[in-house]
Amino acid sequence: MKILIIEDEKGLRESIEEYFMEAGNICETASNYQEAMSKVSLYTYDCILLDITLPGGSGIEILKHLKQNNNTDGVLIISAKNSLDDRLEGLDLGADDYLVKPFHLSELRARVTAIIRRKTFNGSNLLVFNEIGIDLLAKSVKVSDTPIKLTRKEYALLLYFIANKGKVVSKNAIAEHLWGDGIDMANNFDFIYSHIKNLRKKLMEAGSNDYIQAAYGMGYKFTDQ
Amino acid sequence: MKLLTRYNRVNLLTTIIVMLITGIIYYQAISLILVSQLDKSLVVEENEVFEYVGLNHQLPQVFKSNDQQITFTEARPGTVTRQFINTIYRNREGDDEDRPRRHVRRHRHEDEFESGRGLISSVMVGNKYYKILIVESKVETEDLIKIIFGITAGVILLLLLTLFVTNRLLLNRLWQPFYNLLKELRIFNVADSKDIPLEKTNIEEFEELNQVIISMSTRVKNDYKDLKTFTENASHELLTPIAVINSKLDTLIQTDSFSQQQSKLLNDLYSAVSKLTRLNQSLLLLVKIENRLLEGNDHINLKLHIQELIIQFEEIFLDKELIVTCELGEKELITSTYLVDILLNNLLSNAIRHNYKGGRINIKLTDESLVIQNTGENAPLQEEEIFIRFHKSTESEGSGLGLTISRQICENLKFTLNYSYDASYHTFTVTF
Repeated sequence: MKILIIEDEKGLRESIEEYFMEAGNICETASNYQEAMSKVSLYTYDCILLDITLPGGSGIEILKHLKQNNNTDGVLIISAKNSLDDRLEGLDLGADDYLVKPFHLSELRARVTAIIRRKTFNGSNLLVFNEIGIDLLAKSVKVSDTPIKLTRKEYALLLYFIANKGKVVSKNAIAEHLWGDGIDMANNFDFIYSHIKNLRKKLMEAGSNDYIQAAYGMGYKFTDQ
Repeated sequence: MKLLTRYNRVNLLTTIIVMLITGIIYYQAISLILVSQLDKSLVVEENEVFEYVGLNHQLPQVFKSNDQQITFTEARPGTVTRQFINTIYRNREGDDEDRPRRHVRRHRHEDEFESGRGLISSVMVGNKYYKILIVESKVETEDLIKIIFGITAGVILLLLLTLFVTNRLLLNRLWQPFYNLLKELRIFNVADSKDIPLEKTNIEEFEELNQVIISMSTRVKNDYKDLKTFTENASHELLTPIAVINSKLDTLIQTDSFSQQQSKLLNDLYSAVSKLTRLNQSLLLLVKIENRLLEGNDHINLKLHIQELIIQFEEIFLDKELIVTCELGEKELITSTYLVDILLNNLLSNAIRHNYKGGRINIKLTDESLVIQNTGENAPLQEEEIFIRFHKSTESEGSGLGLTISRQICENLKFTLNYSYDASYHTFTVTF
């Protein structure tokens, strides 16, 4: 996939770039309004990560420009502004999603993956990872034609893992993804453990390989290598 | 003591004293004038006697005339000095039926005694020496004085009454701007956007007071706003570095092989950052709620919201082996969904966080109130303290802002949030 990261904060931009950089992905960056404008005018991307507050102009203007030109690039706004109005303005203008800073890179990745999936697999709702097949519309999961029954949280967890395959996902990121950031889950990582244990058990009982690895007590990694 | 009472007291007291003094002076002056007039008429009478004696060389016959008696008594020559005296006028009852009755003091005798004014003089008739005593009744004079005094007293009373009433009305009206200002000050809220209105008055002092209060309140409000803006900006500025730390941590754990010690350090870093994030978000949220930036007119089925929330917390209930009892009636609110969700989330999170394993949570929703009860530490909390920012128990992992935010939300939505402790349940009640 081809991604444009429009973000003025160097540290954040580089981290995102590094996280998305892998075989098959192309990441480009822009650190200010002019640079971003020239890039979005020249090229098309699968997904544009758009910061609202930029030196030289507002990310909202870039979004308007994209929509005026009937650009089909997916747009994910990353902003420090967390008011409902900002969020609604962004989404009303045609952004696909809105993520508030600070966020976990794995969360960003999951959102970006979801956007691109919606854009590229127009109509098709099937997500396949080796022997695991997921019907996104019916929210059903099969392991080589054996249907398995997952709870809501386990299903969300599986999607999250697949979007972040090959990456170590921290327990904090998983907790925030599953329960939202409203709850202080710092002392309750046991849930995550039990959810993951259940998910892994269900997948393996249906004949799947063991893809979930614990990573040094910090998190988990979903990988087929 | 009220200003009016104080003023009235002083005012009335001085008025009464002044009036009394003038009354006395007035009385004395009138008495003096009237007595001197009486004296004049006595002298006229004396002269008449002298003239009569001069012409007829005998004593005049004594006639009864109005309020006047003349008596002649023989005396040794040279013993009588001419003088005016205050004396008693003896009025014989039978003698003066022609005279209009007056209210005179009665004694046991048939006679009436009235105070009188007399003139003692002497006259020589032939070679006899006579003492003349002319007495005139002072009754009429005294009556006159009484009438005058009565009228004066009446006027004084009337004056006092008018003073009292006008003071009351006038002062009340005069001080009205002051009382209005007082009322405004009483309801003054630094977080409110409402300004103290300019009171219409043409009294300079009040206008000045009003101006000073308005400028003061504006200044206070500006300072407060600055402070809030600062909080907001500071929290906002913190977001980016936190985001960078977060993303760097996420990147760091992608690099391979960590020792046990390193991964523990990383875990601690993660929880610290996540705490920092939550704290920062809570602060921002609080500022926004205080600024009333989050308002809405959504129709909210509270029962449904609570049920959804309970489903969300289900695993946590299971894990902590909490027994949750719900008694949910129908209740619809028209307000911001966002705020209501935060409120419910905060209250329920607290009920979970401060509970023990195997504890209970009771949720009761009626048309008037929402009650969330939980078991926990076996002692009541201090109601005044728990709503204060950053007040939390030492073992609490929360930000210390949850209840502050909850109460602020309730304030915004015109609800009340109260805490009570009964029968080992910590109870939070939201009254709609």
